Amino acid sequence: MSLGEMAEWFAFLVLALISLAGALGMATTMSMFRSGIFLMASFIGVAGLFILLSADLLGLLQIMMYIGGMLVMILFMVLFSMDPGGAMMADMKMSLVERFFSLGLSSGKKDDGGGDMEHGGHDGGGMEHGGDGGDGGGMEHGGDGGDGGGMDMSMTTPVKGWAALLGLANGALLTGLLLLRPAWPESTEQPNPDSAEQIGNLLMGKYMMAFEGAGLLILIGIFGAVLIGRTSRYPDDRSRTAYVTVDAPPPEVEESAGDVVARDSKEGD
Amino acid sequence: MTGGEILLRSVGVLVALVLGATLTWRLEPRVLESAGVTELGPAAGTHPQGPIGLAPNPDVWLYPAGPIVAVLGVLFGAVVIPLGPDLVGQDLGIGVFYFIVVIDFVVLGLSLGGWGANVRNAAEVYYRAVAQLVSYVVPLGLAYIGAIMMAGSLSTIAIAQAQEGLWFVVLQPLGFALYLVTGAMQAYRPPFVEPFSRHIEHGVYGSSAGWQALLWRLSMSGVLLLVAAMGSVLYLGGWNGPLLPDPLWMILKTLALMVLMLWLGARFRPLSTAEMLALSWKVLTPVGLANVLLVGGLILLGAGP
Amino acid sequence: MAVPLTAYLVVAALLFAIGVYAVIAQRSAVMILMGIEVLLNAIGLNLIAFWRFVNPGDYSAQIFAIIIITVGAVEMGIGLAIMLLLYRNRSSVQVDDYAELRG
Repeated sequence: MSLGEMAEWFAFLVLALISLAGALGMATTMSMFRSGIFLMASFIGVAGLFILLSADLLGLLQIMMYIGGMLVMILFMVLFSMDPGGAMMADMKMSLVERFFSLGLSSGKKDDGGGDMEHGGHDGGGMEHGGDGGDGGGMEHGGDGGDGGGMDMSMTTPVKGWAALLGLANGALLTGLLLLRPAWPESTEQPNPDSAEQIGNLLMGKYMMAFEGAGLLILIGIFGAVLIGRTSRYPDDRSRTAYVTVDAPPPEVEESAGDVVARDSKEGD
Repeated sequence: MTGGEILLRSVGVLVALVLGATLTWRLEPRVLESAGVTELGPAAGTHPQGPIGLAPNPDVWLYPAGPIVAVLGVLFGAVVIPLGPDLVGQDLGIGVFYFIVVIDFVVLGLSLGGWGANVRNAAEVYYRAVAQLVSYVVPLGLAYIGAIMMAGSLSTIAIAQAQEGLWFVVLQPLGFALYLVTGAMQAYRPPFVEPFSRHIEHGVYGSSAGWQALLWRLSMSGVLLLVAAMGSVLYLGGWNGPLLPDPLWMILKTLALMVLMLWLGARFRPLSTAEMLALSWKVLTPVGLANVLLVGGLILLGAGP
Repeated sequence: MAVPLTAYLVVAALLFAIGVYAVIAQRSAVMILMGIEVLLNAIGLNLIAFWRFVNPGDYSAQIFAIIIITVGAVEMGIGLAIMLLLYRNRSSVQVDDYAELRG
């Protein structure tokens, strides 16, 4: 095996490991923020595989799309989630994989002394979720299906075991089929090194309609998202009333020593 | 390309970046202070006052990853900046696009480091950095497109070579102005210093110490340097100029553009993220589209190379 | 090409399996969206691997992958907007809180 081939194998193995470990971490970690970051790592790994397959433009495009996209998506997760940092759920019962990808999230294991130190996950971010992040110690894992009440905070559904089984079966089946299949009709042709020009010509020529259609789809998507997300004009539409936060004073934040409230940055000077 | 050559080029890019970032780090506070700026942003060199409990309970994976990712983004970006027709880390066919993509890793690093510190002020950095990303990314792309259209290539070398006769700043003053504004936004320089505002204890600076603080300062100085260098490649003709040798011209233009950016930014009060978003979507994006239209017209009329 | 086509396809298959697990096992709608992104990504990897090994002269596969990325982005935007609306209604985006139509 020559040096170049070894380098290619090495790059392939590293990138495949990044993309698979990233996806697995996304599916199993208890912290929503980490989950988004893991997914981004997975995308970057796949983008690296694209570049290894000499689709460099597509790989860079994927990285650009998903760094911005995933950061915004994590912002939404922080907004919607009760416990985006995962400090509450990290104390629950977890499987081995979950424990690995949630490493260091748990607040109980650390021996930094004192019962009620400020380890409430990232409650600086999750606004509606005060400082009660530390008391998740004795909580039941929702996956056991025990407490069907409103306090079930687990990230996963009760069918988690079946889902894992299905995923494993799916992976094993596909991998087995791939390995058993005889060789693919491979071509020895080399791709054109200037992929940007090729893609540009195709997009503006043969696939003009698909290009324009995608543009139209994005436009309609923007319209739809704005239409769904904006506030309603009708005062009795309770679900879509405008939240007027400007006039109301901001909620009190308990000050610790040395903290400067981040909110008043506008009236700085 | 042999292994030795790759190593040589990597070391060259690294040394150039560290030297340039150090120079930026020394130069920037003086420019800002002489312009009378109080909100220094990433140039704030002093450690914030107060107790040293920087990050008492950080996320063990994300907190150290933040500065490393940011520095890697800057380092990868420096690869395509040319100091001369042959003096470049690596001339990629899609160099400018690559540059836009890898500089995004700085935002990712800020988000990781800010959130991972597990401190309220640092977590705020994440929100502000993402809001700033959303506001600058579209106009910045439009500012690049003007130069790309006229040069007819995505390679930084080809773009600089296309400006041998006439710099693009003469043909596209609108695009240059747009680049000045969005470049300051991308580099977190005044008046766009929300993620490094002193009201949140200078953001990630206030929650890191030791090697992490050093890497943050390296990446933040480096990103200003790279934005200025890319601006001089896109609009000021890169290394082209009479008498002096090529690399000297490139360095002079980069520094001049940097000082111009900082000096102009010092004229305005710091903007909040909401004001930045409004500015971006209501003013900068239409201006960018108008610039693309103008450049298209100019090309049809036969101007440019 | 030292790495064979099957290696890339196996990576894509494993990605797909993880995506299936995430879509079924996760409870928050945002996480389900992320699982769908993994599924789309696995498909894109398959497309590009086949393009490189079977027909590298024709760049149509890359166009297809670009369209997939675009559709994924639009899906993410609309999904987040719907979630914003759901959250305003019920202060929850856990999918099993929306089970009225179960019968």
